[in-house]
Amino acid sequence: MTTFPIAVPPPGDAPGIATRHPDEHRPWPHKPRTWPRALVIAAVICALTAWSAIAIQFDPATLIRNAHNASRTLVQLFQPDYTFIPDTAGALLETVQMAVIGTAVSVALALPISFLASRVTNPSTVVLGVARFIMNVIRSIPDLLYAAVFVTVIGTGAISGVFALVLFDLGIMVKLISEALDGLDRGGQEAALASGATWLKADRIAMLPEVAPSYISQTIYVFELNIRASTVIGLVGAGGLGMLIDKVRTFYQYHYLSTIILEVLVIILALELLSSASRKRLLI
Amino acid sequence: MSQAQQAADIAFDHVGVTYPNGFVGLDDITLRIGGGEMVAVVGLSGAGKSTLVRTINGLVPISSGQITVGDVGLKGLRGKGLRTVRSEIGMIFQSFNLAKRTTVINNVLMGRLYHTPAWRALLAAWKRDDVELAMQALERVEIVHKAYAKASELSGGQQQRVAIARSLAQRPRVILADEPTASLDPPTSHVVMRDLQRINADLGITVVVNLHFLDLARRYGQRLLGLREGRLVFDGPGADADEGVFESIYGRSLTAEDMLPGHQQAAV
Ligand SMILES: Nc1ncnc2c1ncn2[C@@H]1O[C@H](COP(=O)(O)OP(=O)(O)OP(=O)(O)O)[C@@H](O)[C@H]1O
Ligand SMILES: [Mg+2]
Repeated sequence: MTTFPIAVPPPGDAPGIATRHPDEHRPWPHKPRTWPRALVIAAVICALTAWSAIAIQFDPATLIRNAHNASRTLVQLFQPDYTFIPDTAGALLETVQMAVIGTAVSVALALPISFLASRVTNPSTVVLGVARFIMNVIRSIPDLLYAAVFVTVIGTGAISGVFALVLFDLGIMVKLISEALDGLDRGGQEAALASGATWLKADRIAMLPEVAPSYISQTIYVFELNIRASTVIGLVGAGGLGMLIDKVRTFYQYHYLSTIILEVLVIILALELLSSASRKRLLI
Repeated sequence: MSQAQQAADIAFDHVGVTYPNGFVGLDDITLRIGGGEMVAVVGLSGAGKSTLVRTINGLVPISSGQITVGDVGLKGLRGKGLRTVRSEIGMIFQSFNLAKRTTVINNVLMGRLYHTPAWRALLAAWKRDDVELAMQALERVEIVHKAYAKASELSGGQQQRVAIARSLAQRPRVILADEPTASLDPPTSHVVMRDLQRINADLGITVVVNLHFLDLARRYGQRLLGLREGRLVFDGPGADADEGVFESIYGRSLTAEDMLPGHQQAAV
């Protein structure tokens, strides 16, 4: 006989807790009713979707009417013409170059601006407010719109694309880095300030090393974004593969189009593998 | 390490601190700490110990009265004037306050920032003399072999000694310590307190240290300041602080919880 009899807890009860008949008075809180809220949200989403579909004159009948056309295009798309690859080399290279330059310039600019845009590293509420306002405006404009504006002002080509990428990245980068700063331990900074350092020196010496891992990681992230973005902004004339896509599309060269799409796919996959590998190596 | 500058007198003259939310942190404190003294501040949690030491380097601004460090009045002091006073006052924190992702030596060099031009700080191009000074400071707390280790890789006691080295690198006249042993185990607490004691004795630096445990306070503070609800209720040698005095500070009689664990037998 064992000296410690093992009590079998009644089903549904934790051991050691007094059992209670289910019909007894239960003082526990009731599960709050959530379904009315869920219903309202679902209704709103459905209404918005329907309204949007009407607004853009979405008509399933058009899909069917164009089915013949669409199938021909699709057949062509599924037959990429690989002999076209050498002709895309220039544009492909330009896309990568745009992404590299855009990333380099934007992350360099983003670092000091992030320190201005974090309440943790910037004691001046006025400067903080101004920096945040400007960055909010910059971030609210989509990359394609930047590209369109620069193409109009500077002209078609990679330079416009780079400008568009820099502004687009800057918005993202400053938001991410200043938020990383906001969440940092401020001990070192407090000690530096207590020893008579200015905010500039304290931020540089005590805060920069702490934010460095996030900075590196976000730089890689922004580079990945740029490869994608630099393809798209080309569509409005801002250089790179996008411009080539626009050209072959205009001439209905769908064999070529699918070749380019495949290339973009491969290059993005390759770069993502590369960047996730380097992220691991840099951060550990 | 070269001689510290002459230790400074610290004088509180009817000092009051009212926090922005209206809470009175310090109430009419008048006291004088002579150059080279080692003073322990005790009191319940919330009594105003941190507030008191933080007024000495202006981390907490005073609302009324005046504090003079050396011959500089702190009331309303800002900018360069405040930084100059702070450069002569080292501070040690309960949670060490190191930049954890950088090296030990960089953390110690932080204590030289006041004397480092902005361009040098931005490039982290430290002066050779300052690196020398920082190494000597690390040597004094017996941790110089860790100079190029990452701060986060050190134990708590080692991190606190790095913090002490950082304050020494300032070549301060005063060192303030806000519960420097609260995150440490009892043996390590003694190591850190002995470091502070040696700094006080060998370099003649004035040391003001907040302590939670009474036995540590009596053992290491030549002089004890007792705070209760923002007021100074005791000021005298540790030896004079008997049961009655403790009751006036703590509002209750002494228990084992007021002692560093493992030292209940010691003191009182
Ligand atoms: N920034 C602040 N704003 C408002 N009240 C504050 C602020 N800082 C401290 N206080 C209050 O002032 C009182 C004294 O705080 P202080 O930190 O000096 O206490 P302490 O003696 O150091 O306590 P502990 O042993 O817990 O560190 C506390 O009641 C605290 O809530
Ligand atoms: Mg405190």
